[in-house]
Amino acid sequence: MTLPATDPFAPAPAAGALRFLYRLNPLSKLAAVLPATVALVLVRDIWTPLVFVALAYATLLIGVRFTRRLAAMLGLAIPVAVAVIGLTFSLWTDPSRVAGTAAVLEIGAWTLRAGALATGYATALRLAAIIALALVAGLSTTGPDLARSLVQQLRVPYRIGYTALAAFRFVPRFAYELEVIRQAHRVRGSGSGRGPLRGITRWIGYVVPLLAGAIRHAERVALAMDARAFGAYPDRTERYLVPFRARDVVFVAVAWAVSAAALVVFLPR
Amino acid sequence: MGLLTAGWTVVHLIVATSLLPLYGLVLGFHALPGVIAQQVLRLPWVALITHGVAALVACAFVPTMAGRYLMVAVLFGGVQEGVSALTRYRHWEPWRFFLSAAATGVLLAVPMWLFLAAESLSGWAAILFVALFIVGPVAWTAVGLGVGTGLTRAGITRIRR
Amino acid sequence: MPVPASAPDAAASADGIPLPLLRVSDLSISHDGAEAATPSGVSFEVGLGEVVLVLGPSGSGKSTLTLALNGLIPQSVPATLHGSVQAGGLDTASASVAQLSPHVAMVFQDPDAQLVTGTLLDEVAFGPENLRLPVAEVLARTEHALRRVGLWERRDENPDVLSGGGRQRLAIAAALAMGSPLLVLDEPTANLDPVGIEEVYRALADLVAAGDHAIVLVEHNLDAAIGFVDRVIVLDAAGRLIADGRAESVLRDRAEELHELGVWLPTSALAALRLRRAGYVLDPLPLTPDDLRDALAEHPPVPAGSDASERDPRPAAEPAAVITGLTLRRGRTEVLHDVSLSVPAGSFTAIVGANGAGKSSLLLALAGVIEPPRGTVRIGGQDVARADPGQLPGMVGFVFQNPEHQFIAHTVFEEAAHGLRRQGLGEEDVRARADDLLDRFGLADKAGQHPFLLSGGQKRRLSVGTALVAGAPLLALDEPTFGQDRARADELLRLLAGLRAEGVTVVVVTHDMQLVSEYADRVVVMADGRVIADGTTGEVFDDAALIERAGLRLPPLRRALSGLAQHPALARATRLADLPGGDA
Ligand SMILES: Nc1ncnc2c1ncn2[C@@H]1O[C@H](COP(=O)(O)OP(=O)(O)OP(=O)(O)O)[C@@H](O)[C@H]1O
Ligand SMILES: Nc1ncnc2c1ncn2[C@@H]1O[C@H](COP(=O)(O)OP(=O)(O)OP(=O)(O)O)[C@@H](O)[C@H]1O
Ligand SMILES: [Mg+2]
Ligand SMILES: [Mg+2]
Repeated sequence: MTLPATDPFAPAPAAGALRFLYRLNPLSKLAAVLPATVALVLVRDIWTPLVFVALAYATLLIGVRFTRRLAAMLGLAIPVAVAVIGLTFSLWTDPSRVAGTAAVLEIGAWTLRAGALATGYATALRLAAIIALALVAGLSTTGPDLARSLVQQLRVPYRIGYTALAAFRFVPRFAYELEVIRQAHRVRGSGSGRGPLRGITRWIGYVVPLLAGAIRHAERVALAMDARAFGAYPDRTERYLVPFRARDVVFVAVAWAVSAAALVVFLPR
Repeated sequence: MGLLTAGWTVVHLIVATSLLPLYGLVLGFHALPGVIAQQVLRLPWVALITHGVAALVACAFVPTMAGRYLMVAVLFGGVQEGVSALTRYRHWEPWRFFLSAAATGVLLAVPMWLFLAAESLSGWAAILFVALFIVGPVAWTAVGLGVGTGLTRAGITRIRR
Repeated sequence: MPVPASAPDAAASADGIPLPLLRVSDLSISHDGAEAATPSGVSFEVGLGEVVLVLGPSGSGKSTLTLALNGLIPQSVPATLHGSVQAGGLDTASASVAQLSPHVAMVFQDPDAQLVTGTLLDEVAFGPENLRLPVAEVLARTEHALRRVGLWERRDENPDVLSGGGRQRLAIAAALAMGSPLLVLDEPTANLDPVGIEEVYRALADLVAAGDHAIVLVEHNLDAAIGFVDRVIVLDAAGRLIADGRAESVLRDRAEELHELGVWLPTSALAALRLRRAGYVLDPLPLTPDDLRDALAEHPPVPAGSDASERDPRPAAEPAAVITGLTLRRGRTEVLHDVSLSVPAGSFTAIVGANGAGKSSLLLALAGVIEPPRGTVRIGGQDVARADPGQLPGMVGFVFQNPEHQFIAHTVFEEAAHGLRRQGLGEEDVRARADDLLDRFGLADKAGQHPFLLSGGQKRRLSVGTALVAGAPLLALDEPTFGQDRARADELLRLLAGLRAEGVTVVVVTHDMQLVSEYADRVVVMADGRVIADGTTGEVFDDAALIERAGLRLPPLRRALSGLAQHPALARATRLADLPGGDA
């Protein structure tokens, strides 16, 4: 079997003392950005999202290891996305609402107005800010740690949390199975014909064998886990603690305070 | 045990999900895990558990979306579970699934409306926007029902309840 | 709730007489929905230090029995249980699986289905953690268990990077860490290549040598297991216990009876039974290649009564398929390097090699499942890369390892009819020919059923049938006997032999060397994406160094017979059918 492209179990990369985000509890990172995220859904101006983009970028540049991927994401992917999404959103904007603003571009009878652009780019920036905030937790947290902290702090039943951990192992297996099923169906000639409709029926044909195999596999895994006393007691020994420490409290408090301050200062009245 | 099994149903869904180009684009897609799990197993809690496990697995691969996945799981799973509970886990006809899909759609449309500033859309676009939020989950629910029926026909439910 | 750290001391009755680790009394189990109980009325005991092999035909209830030993039946699998099972003095009907887990540990067939974490260390620690042992104790047990299977040095790796045999040893370590003196293994080597099988049995043999464990083993591959089992229990088709005794005496004294029952015997024993009929005096019956070899070495030559049936050398006709200079990339890696090969028409060609050697890739390219570069693969003179997809099924049929993957219809009949409809036949023709096909493959009475609901053997037959329905003269099969018991494998191979008699060329990828030597007339050996040997079965297996180099093992019969100076007629035999003694 080939190795999975992303290994969900890979240990967090070693990072210097400055890269503090790795040493925080996943839940505290999620909690820290939550109020800002909710607020961003509600604001309408351009400045508030810009400020949060800046704050998130600063946190990321200090708090996580600087990699080429991070650079590409912050420097390229997000700006390009903002540019494109902003434009398309402005095209969708109801012309009657922005009729009073200056015309930026005129093609025949159609006019693109500054008001439309402002609305479009405000939305795009809100999106960018929310994604940048999500990266704060996303780039410094591993799936297993998140599952563990859900179990350890939020008291999610460990049978669900650790079942998910076990399920991580399924994914590469299913990518492989899917490839085989596609090949098999192609050989049988079920894949001939083009067009979106054929494509959809073809995918439906893959789903049943894929899921059937998966469920059987899951049952075998479940038996094997039971045989090793999984779920026998209300809790289990935790060798990896994902503690919620004083620094988590501090981080959340600071993040909330900064979010509140930014909102108070920049929100247009 | 049935529960654990149900939980796993999801995982497969995730895989199916992560491979579909539509993943993430069509939010309604997230209805699938719960629908299939309920259609196949028809037991209390399967929808919520399935969604929970699905979300956790998804988080492992795209940690950035963790918050969203968890919220989606709670929303979809919660509505599906809630509607089933209100019908006391006795009604499994398609209308019941579509009802929860439509309810989920409405619940989704509200925050998304705010977020995307949909009030600034032209009239017909705004209507389309809301309509798609309801059509999306309903359509995916229909797909889920089809898949669930296919699995039942292939004898999957026979294995263990 | 505290859990005893280790069980042996718990297994003593009040008056100090040691209790058996396991006591099964009058046990009958019916799965929900099943008509008859399998196993049925079974009683036996297992004491410390014993290694018990459970034999029986497919469906006799061996797996069901193993699941009952630690309470998974009836607690996790819905089934009705009569009689009782006591493990370490606990009754499995009343104690929970968790309470039983320090007394009985399980290892299952598929290593992938029992590994749940990201590193070897976490994997082994998983069980003790579930028992709520203190962290220090968890780590101590984990280290001990990993050391016993020789994996401690690799504790930080992801289980995915282990070989199949390595992963199965890891599963054994995980079972050991539960601290139970009784280990139950259900076909632990069914999916492994020869090297992996050896690894697993070496690890088990070390355990047994230490004397602090007992083992209950279900295994079809007796050639691998026979060396270290000391007791055999046999279930018949109805799940009743029909033999329980020392391995040698059961296998030797009742060999004929077991063979009748459909239970597989060691290849050496089968060979010896045959030789006996040809006038050889082999008493006691040899069970291992070494036994057979020693017995024959001392045996006076027997005049060859009837000639060993020569393998009919087929005339080198027009080749069915020709591969020239095939270099294939999958993803970013080049998996085949400049492979050239010719498959003679009407031959049974086996492709063998260690895991990852490129066997499947070669077969997929041969059948056009992965498109090969133009001009590199020709079937019946036609370039596979240029054939349009509609043409391909008529040129070559491909059978995937898991038949379920290739089923696309909702009924067995539709499955058979699919290929015919694609040829544009009229509905009446389709019906007639599909019925005919189902008849031929013994599936006529299943026409209306969903293909997934067939038994394993039936699924396999259907997949072969559908691959052939378009009339392809060449059939390619990837590990057709993988995960199947011997009886089903045999059924399939007889089917293939029959097709071959009708002129179909067969190419298989397999790890089973005895299968190769029984059925194949040509063998292609692969290593690291290259063909390192290609010749008749005899030629290839004569080169022991080559086989070793490719990470393979000689088939048991070869090991027993090759180079036996005083029996020249036998020394050349590689198939049971080559031996004198006629059909069993
Ligand atoms: N989960 C299940 N539900 C219903 N019936 C089952 C289930 N598992 C097994 N059976 C049936 O119980 C019988 C015994 O099956 P079991 O798997 O124990 O046989 P076995 O001896 O292990 O066979 P094999 O050699 O093929 O592994 C068979 O008839 C089988 O069809
Ligand atoms: N889809 C793929 N993408 C990239 N590499 C692959 C793919 N499939 C197989 N490989 C690689 O190609 C090589 C040959 O694989 P192949 O499956 O042909 O081996 P095999 O001889 O059939 O092994 P096994 O005995 O394990 O089935 C391996 O190194 C494998 O990792
Ligand atoms: Mg079995
Ligand atoms: Mg292979």
